[in-house]
Amino acid sequence: MLTALIRRAIQAIFVILAMTVIVFIGINVIGNPVDILINPDLNQAERARVVEHLGLDLPLWQQYLHFLQGLLHGDFGDSFVYNRPALGVIMERFPATLELALSAMFIAIVVGLPLGLYAGLYPERLSSRLIMSGSILGFSLPTFWVGLMFILLFAVQLGWLPSNGRGETVGFLGAGWSFLTRDGLAHLFLPALNLALFKTSLVLRLTRAGVQEVLPQDFIKFARAKGLQEHRVVLVHLMKNLMIPVVTILGLEFGSLIAFSVVTESIFGWPGMGKLIIDSINLLDRPVIVAYLMMMVVLFVMLNFIIDIAYTLLDPRVRLDGGN
Amino acid sequence: MFHTVINRTIVGAAVVLLTASAMPSNAQESQALSIGMAAVVTSLDPHEDSNSPNNATSRHIFDSLIDRGGSAENNPQLATSWEIVDDTHWRFHLREGVTFHDGSSFDSEDVVASLLRARDKESQSFASYTRNIADVTADGPYTVTVETTVPDPMILNSLSRIRIISSEYEGASVADFENGTAAIGTGPFRFVSYTPGDRLELDRNEEYFAGPSEWSHVTIRMVPDNGGRLASLLAGDLDLIESLPAEGIDRVEQSDTMKIIRGQSTRLVYLGMDVMRDQTPFIKTKEGHSLDSNPLKDMRVRKALLMAINREAIVDRVMRKNGTVAHQFVADGFLGHSKKVEEISYDPEGARHLLAEAGYPDGFAMTIHGPSGRYVNDSEVLQAVGQMFSRIGIATTVEVLPWSVYSGKYANGEYSLYLASWGVNTGEVSNPALATVAGRNSETGTGRYNGGGVDVQEINEFLSKATQTLDESAREPLLQKVSDLVFNNNWLIPLHYENMVMGAHEDIEYKPRGDKYTLSYEVHRTSH
Repeated sequence: MLTALIRRAIQAIFVILAMTVIVFIGINVIGNPVDILINPDLNQAERARVVEHLGLDLPLWQQYLHFLQGLLHGDFGDSFVYNRPALGVIMERFPATLELALSAMFIAIVVGLPLGLYAGLYPERLSSRLIMSGSILGFSLPTFWVGLMFILLFAVQLGWLPSNGRGETVGFLGAGWSFLTRDGLAHLFLPALNLALFKTSLVLRLTRAGVQEVLPQDFIKFARAKGLQEHRVVLVHLMKNLMIPVVTILGLEFGSLIAFSVVTESIFGWPGMGKLIIDSINLLDRPVIVAYLMMMVVLFVMLNFIIDIAYTLLDPRVRLDGGN
Repeated sequence: MFHTVINRTIVGAAVVLLTASAMPSNAQESQALSIGMAAVVTSLDPHEDSNSPNNATSRHIFDSLIDRGGSAENNPQLATSWEIVDDTHWRFHLREGVTFHDGSSFDSEDVVASLLRARDKESQSFASYTRNIADVTADGPYTVTVETTVPDPMILNSLSRIRIISSEYEGASVADFENGTAAIGTGPFRFVSYTPGDRLELDRNEEYFAGPSEWSHVTIRMVPDNGGRLASLLAGDLDLIESLPAEGIDRVEQSDTMKIIRGQSTRLVYLGMDVMRDQTPFIKTKEGHSLDSNPLKDMRVRKALLMAINREAIVDRVMRKNGTVAHQFVADGFLGHSKKVEEISYDPEGARHLLAEAGYPDGFAMTIHGPSGRYVNDSEVLQAVGQMFSRIGIATTVEVLPWSVYSGKYANGEYSLYLASWGVNTGEVSNPALATVAGRNSETGTGRYNGGGVDVQEINEFLSKATQTLDESAREPLLQKVSDLVFNNNWLIPLHYENMVMGAHEDIEYKPRGDKYTLSYEVHRTSH
């Protein structure tokens, strides 16, 4: 387990290094951040002063070395736009995104899993067919459209829920969280539901497919023949076996929820990282882009690792260290 | 978020019952206002990063020596009066009895600290306002002398841009302002809380020298997403939004509880042309061969291009009335507007004629460039212009690029004909002219955005004279002359001024400002 962890960490470092090189070169190709960031009224001398302040006067490879040097000291550089440490700028938005992603995931699991089980166990029932047709809608309706419809219906027409923003937050573990207040929850509900729609359908369909694959297998028949109670057959023997693909997908999807929830965040004015990264790319705010992507690499590597651990728990045949 | 809940309930109830008169009449004491900004504030430190959303926001908390009115006039604020000592010295008499939000009193030390802090900040974002400040000295507790390096007629305008902070926080960092410790000004509102990228909460400053605001609490929400901003207005979460998106105009117009507030901004959208090179890279014959000469150097061709554009139609259809046809840098009423600029109207026949006269009876092929998503409907405007050029026989290809790619290239003069814009934030002609038509000079910083390479000695001379003339009545004819020279020779093709279109609840009164700032202090609620 420990060797596997170390191996993953080393892999992550290489991925991060490669990614930072690509970002540095990529941004340099797009354009010069100075042209976008600097007040157009500045004269040459003032401009030179700012360029020097931002460290953009050096050749690219030197800028990169400076960046690596800072990294060793835990310094990701200051955002060109916000003039504060890039990591800080990201981290103050991270809780909002995390909260949204977790809520969406929660909805997806709580709704998707039972419905999928039901549809898999009783595929012939009318209700199962309705559930399956419904899931097609969840798949195919574009997020931004559904989001706007939610706002129009629940906020504009009915006036039940707020249209926009994060609402009241409560400090906890050094960050502000919405789900701890009533007002915050009201703000959280629509965007989370919007984000969860696609994931719910995904979980639902995976679960149903899993049930139908596992159900005819011998060990289920054996368990039933042994006279085990139906709920034990379903909840232990069936579930354990169908969870492996579900966990894999959920893990990866959770990463993408955090990394790419930008559409939902924009529509609902949710002050998360998704919006930040798009703005940063438009403004060529390199320190923020680099720090953000590094976080994402670490996140995905960690998620994969957690998924692997989940496998070993679900399936004793799987070993992390390759069977040694 | 107690206040927003109350606010929403009140407005929500009004929407449902369609009776705006159901507003409580004793609400004077606890009026809350929620504004939806269309852009995101990047810093609460008033000297860190100069851009409209930041400067509009900082004016809520801080004051300046000079107050800039909606039509770019200079009014007293923390300075009650001023006088010119000599060409490079201005003396300001400060308002007495003003206190900061923390109770400390305002005096000349604060002015000295603030002006120098803005000048010396590493980000240099306010340099265009502070570059001529040689020194600031306190002559007494309520008198300050500002020494400029050269005679600077724009110094009052510049000082109106620099917010006065308490000298105690001279060394405060950006983070200190954003967590509120240093966000202490003399302005109409005091800092309550700030969530970057989301909202700023403010309470009324009861001690404000010009009288307390009628809003006891203000929430400035940053909602750059058009759909989200509109929905929040419709849902009653916001009372006033900037940049009402075009798709919401009908909806708001038909509503009994909401209205549209329009105003003209000082942002001019124009076309620049390569008038420098003898052969320009993006103009070819229709067969794709290069031309011996650059047609854009011929004034008749430039005029033909202007005559080919139906600007009324662009403003009406493409901009959906969110613009006003422009003929020069600034509209009537602003310093340097000239009555002698010929107003040229749409005339495709005449344009074809002029082209033939200039030796291009069959036109030529041209690629024109512009940004996308930078100005209101920028790529659509450019597409329309391209089609209009094609109609007079110029086979036009339109290419739009993201701003991050475009901005550097157009300023460096890489294109033949390009769409650009200048927000005239000083409200007078020298500011846009120095940047866009003055000869390029890296030492003085003129012509930085002169992507067409306009370099006319007469224009340069009038401009340099105007920038050294302190007396406004002597300055005006010089600037008018600049306008005449630029637009009667068609060095630029003016398209339109962008209009401001705001959405508001029926009972909100607001007069949009030329600088596009949305200032809560100037927002009023009509009484019922």
